[in-house]
Amino acid sequence: MKKYILKRLITAFFTLLVILLVLFILMHLMPGSPFNDEKLNSDQRAALYAKYGLDQPIVVQFFRYVANMLHGDFGVSYNISKNTPIAQLIQSRLPISIQIGGCAVALGAVVGLLLGLLAAFKHDTIWDTLATIISVIGVSVPSYVFALALSYQLGFKWGLFPMLYRADHAFDSAVMPSIALSMFTMASIARFTRSEMLEVLGSEYMLLAESKGLSGSSLIFKHALRNALIPIITVLAPLIVDLMTGSLVVEKIFAIPGVGSLLVNAIQSNDYNVVIALSFIYSAMYILIMLVVDILYGIVDPRIRLAKEG
Amino acid sequence: METQPVIYTDQVSKAASNTTYTPTSQDFSFKKDNTIEIDNNFASQSYWKEVILRYISKPSAMIGLFFIIAITIMAIIGPGMNDFSYSAQNLLQKNFAPRIPGFENLGIFNGSETISTTTGFKTINYYAEQGLNDIYYWFGSDNFGRDIWTRTWSGARVSLIIAVAAAIIDMLIGMSYGLISGYFGGKVDIIMQRILEIANGIPRLVIVTLLLLVLKPGMVTIVIALMLTEWMSMSRIARAEMLKLKEEEFVLASRTLGAGSFFIIFKEILPNIIGPIITQVMFSIPTAIFTEAFLSFVGLGIPVPQCSLGSLISEGFNSFTTHPYQIIPPIIVMALLMLSFNLTADGLREALDPKLKER
Amino acid sequence: MKRRILALIMASVMTLSLAGCGGYNQSGSQAPAAGSESASESTEASASAASASSDLNVMLETPVQSLDPQQATDGTSFEVIADFTDGLMQMDSDGQAVNALAESYELSDDGLTYTFHIRDDANWSNGTPVTAADFVFGWQRAVDPEVASEYAYMLSDIGQIKNAAEIIAGEKDKSELGVTAVDDKTLKVELNVPVSYFLSLMYFPTFYPVNEEFFNTCPDTYGTSPETTLSNGAFVLDTYEPAATAIHLTKSEDYYDAEKVQLSGINYQVIQDSQQALMSYQAGDLDMTLVNGEQVDQVKDDPAFKAVGAGYLWYVSPNMDSVAELNNLNIRKALTMAIDRDSITTGVLKDGSAPTYTAVPMDFAAGPDGSDFSADQEKFSDVCKFDAEAAADYWSKGLEELGIESLELDMIVDADDAPQKVAQVLKEQWETTLPGFTVNLVIEPKKQRVQDMQDGNFQLGLTRWGPDYADPMTYLGMWVTDNSNNYGLWSNSEYDSIIAECTTGDLATDAEARWNRLYDAEKIVMDDAVIFPLYTQCNAEMVNTNVSGIDFHPVALNRVYKSAKKN
Repeated sequence: MKKYILKRLITAFFTLLVILLVLFILMHLMPGSPFNDEKLNSDQRAALYAKYGLDQPIVVQFFRYVANMLHGDFGVSYNISKNTPIAQLIQSRLPISIQIGGCAVALGAVVGLLLGLLAAFKHDTIWDTLATIISVIGVSVPSYVFALALSYQLGFKWGLFPMLYRADHAFDSAVMPSIALSMFTMASIARFTRSEMLEVLGSEYMLLAESKGLSGSSLIFKHALRNALIPIITVLAPLIVDLMTGSLVVEKIFAIPGVGSLLVNAIQSNDYNVVIALSFIYSAMYILIMLVVDILYGIVDPRIRLAKEG
Repeated sequence: METQPVIYTDQVSKAASNTTYTPTSQDFSFKKDNTIEIDNNFASQSYWKEVILRYISKPSAMIGLFFIIAITIMAIIGPGMNDFSYSAQNLLQKNFAPRIPGFENLGIFNGSETISTTTGFKTINYYAEQGLNDIYYWFGSDNFGRDIWTRTWSGARVSLIIAVAAAIIDMLIGMSYGLISGYFGGKVDIIMQRILEIANGIPRLVIVTLLLLVLKPGMVTIVIALMLTEWMSMSRIARAEMLKLKEEEFVLASRTLGAGSFFIIFKEILPNIIGPIITQVMFSIPTAIFTEAFLSFVGLGIPVPQCSLGSLISEGFNSFTTHPYQIIPPIIVMALLMLSFNLTADGLREALDPKLKER
Repeated sequence: MKRRILALIMASVMTLSLAGCGGYNQSGSQAPAAGSESASESTEASASAASASSDLNVMLETPVQSLDPQQATDGTSFEVIADFTDGLMQMDSDGQAVNALAESYELSDDGLTYTFHIRDDANWSNGTPVTAADFVFGWQRAVDPEVASEYAYMLSDIGQIKNAAEIIAGEKDKSELGVTAVDDKTLKVELNVPVSYFLSLMYFPTFYPVNEEFFNTCPDTYGTSPETTLSNGAFVLDTYEPAATAIHLTKSEDYYDAEKVQLSGINYQVIQDSQQALMSYQAGDLDMTLVNGEQVDQVKDDPAFKAVGAGYLWYVSPNMDSVAELNNLNIRKALTMAIDRDSITTGVLKDGSAPTYTAVPMDFAAGPDGSDFSADQEKFSDVCKFDAEAAADYWSKGLEELGIESLELDMIVDADDAPQKVAQVLKEQWETTLPGFTVNLVIEPKKQRVQDMQDGNFQLGLTRWGPDYADPMTYLGMWVTDNSNNYGLWSNSEYDSIIAECTTGDLATDAEARWNRLYDAEKIVMDDAVIFPLYTQCNAEMVNTNVSGIDFHPVALNRVYKSAKKN
């Protein structure tokens, strides 16, 4: 087991390195540069390139970046917040995104689970269709429209929650964005729960359990739900990462100082270091969560021969 | 020790005449492919027929199919149903509220709208103000004076084309990738899965935006961008199915009979996993529509003045609190499309996989 | 067994997270009771309740990019920097330069040496007095190649400060800059040539002072937090972090002019969605907000609604160098005359932007007699106005000269809201007025669009230019041969000589004559249809009726709050 984890960690490290290289190459394919401003002439641009080492060959830049990164230096921002170290830029924003994203995942997972269970137990009835419709409507309306509608109704008309993010009311401020964000998770989880539950309920061991005289809640919770939960977790894991970084639209509307809106601004203004750092954090979180899920999965279900697969 | 194959009737008779039979090398050679008798009758007769029957018997799936067909038809004929074109502007007739002949006498869709201003509510009817008695914008007009009806349906057309094209291409690529990776296993699988992991580890937004920046904006670029991000989930499903099936007896049999890898993958295994694949395609179409909408919002969608459902929604979004009727038609069409593709996919999955029914 | 434990863990995680969210909901229901003012003082409870009442709540469209005066380039950053930093001069409500940190100044007879005397009561917020050395340090930073300030050309090309250009080019050391601290309170500035608008540069943030001693305590993080920022102005920064969405400043009691400052503080909130901003305004959370064109229907009857000049001139730049068809004057004239600028501003933008028929936008440069340089919009009406028939005539003449029947061109456009709208109208107007003309809109992110134009990789480009200083030269200077902003690579020797005459030649000291020569230059640009001017941008703003005294300017500092008042 230890050997397996070690092996996975080493692979993860090299995967991250390759991702970093790919990001570097992608950044350089990007048309425009951080310094394409109307007011800058070519001499000044050359000076700025030289200042930030962007005139060097890409390989040199890459290794320099990796070396700096190992010291915890992610470079500085060129545009979004001029010359601010990336670490400083991100450190206060990441927790906010994680908080809102985490809340959205939790909300989406719980509601989605309930909807999915309802649909599975009342399979092929009006409840099933209703649950499907609710979960699909959740993803049919773009989150920015949904967010604005929420803001209009709950924030503006009823004054329940602050319309804009406020650091002194972080919890209230998180409610509407979390709801708007949770829709996609909710729908995916509901859909997945439904099909997993149907499969579990149709399996032989459930039949056995039923024929042994088990019934009601014990049957559902002890046998069915438990077996369905595990694959659901594997679906949930990548969604968590997506939500933490993918909340840009909602962040824009609710004026949340998170990393999602930062990423979009950075891409649009060619702020290389910010894009690379944020993408890298995203990749690292993704790989880490997948690793944790795989290990947990292996502990839970020894039938999966981890070492062989990895 | 009876070893004679029963189907070789002539040899049986030979064996019967000679009391001792000496096996020849011919006995152990394979028969030619073309004479293997596959029982077509049992397989083909009932499976697809049953699938269709199962599908038809599910009302939600039928509703989904109905709406897909209805919206597709409207996307084809809708833009031609009145005299407006999707790009022609009339700045004198901008922001007209919906007005439909017949309904207007009932007091709805009569071209008047109530705007919630900062100084209170205000009801306006631009048709009446300008004395335009025989002009009808069924869904209203946008802030360039373009007909929203025409734009909604041409937007639906663009969105459908983009989504279906992206889904089909990503099916082809993702499926092949997953099948090959799963079938060969070992080193091939490890390398291919690492590549997948790397591709997955880079945020989609970064890949898609970069691609849209590098290539010239337009429909083809968007299809490529969507395809690039969607093929991964398809390949994962194909690989999982492949892992499940490749140890099955019929694959083993085919291999023993000397079939090549290509033959086994695409002729033997593919038909057996076509169900999950089609289901996945049906699920990836709404995802593609949605992703396109998101790209429009970030400003990387279809170039103006062309429109898609996504770009219409993000255009209407700007006047969401002022003229809400501008965002409602594209939203409803998009929601209906997503819903019906999902319902269809659900129905299809259950129809193709009767195991789910065994409860 | 393990499996059961895991299931248990999962179940408890779910419950916990649910409880967590439930908790927010509970506290959420108490939210409306809390005040709606300052969004930022999470820790400093003392500042919030009492003083918050006359804080001005202002919406910003984009986050601040830098609070380092020599690094900042955008309007938002300038506005915030100017809230807590004063330069030698400031703008009065009409945009004229008046004394700020400078108590008085002298100009030598040859117009080449300015001597500024700095106020005795001007202090930094850490108690040290503002000295001439602070200016020298700040200005040297601006031209230092290691700092690589984007606005370095304000000191060299525009300010014509001695040796600035050489220092930027790396040929001389920054200590040779023509700025010297004669004593603690006297600053001497030497120029290469007389610069008539030099005083109006002094309120531009690139020319603001930086305290060297303080700077050296935090050289890498200067201006990234309230602790690493020093104030000498009307307000003191107290809540800020890089790219923050909420910024708060409090009135400085040590400011030399503190009694005039009536606001207790300014509370900035970055809101990128204009509808959310308007709702917040309506809910009373904001005193000032921008509204977009679509929302004008909602607010146009409101007394709080006003259009504020933003200074930008929007124009279409034809690439005359590499596109042969655009090198044809008749084609260019046809294009500019086929544009109905009125319908763009009133029909689509609706934010108060003014149709413009001159190469210099309106309302930013006042002449020797105090009148606006571009007040007369009719003066080029023979070459620039909306006239569909004349446009079609020019068009057919041009096509004939070129020997073609139809023309297809690409126009590159920023992927932002307003440019895309304008471009769609332009396309429609051109294609309906000019037979055989097809325009393809190529939408690109702004950085890419600018690069394409700088590289000459375009046919038509929709672009804009904001004035750097209150003089027509900030626009007319662009069209001289080889200027980096002369994207169309137009060249005219007569024009070049007029511009040279007005910047460095004899006319630089004779304001009246210079003004008339600038008109001559502008006429050449317009006659040759070098650019197709579209409109002078305005921003539609809601300014609560209980707020008064905010100065709006199209140049450098868009909004100044020193004499603002909130009842």
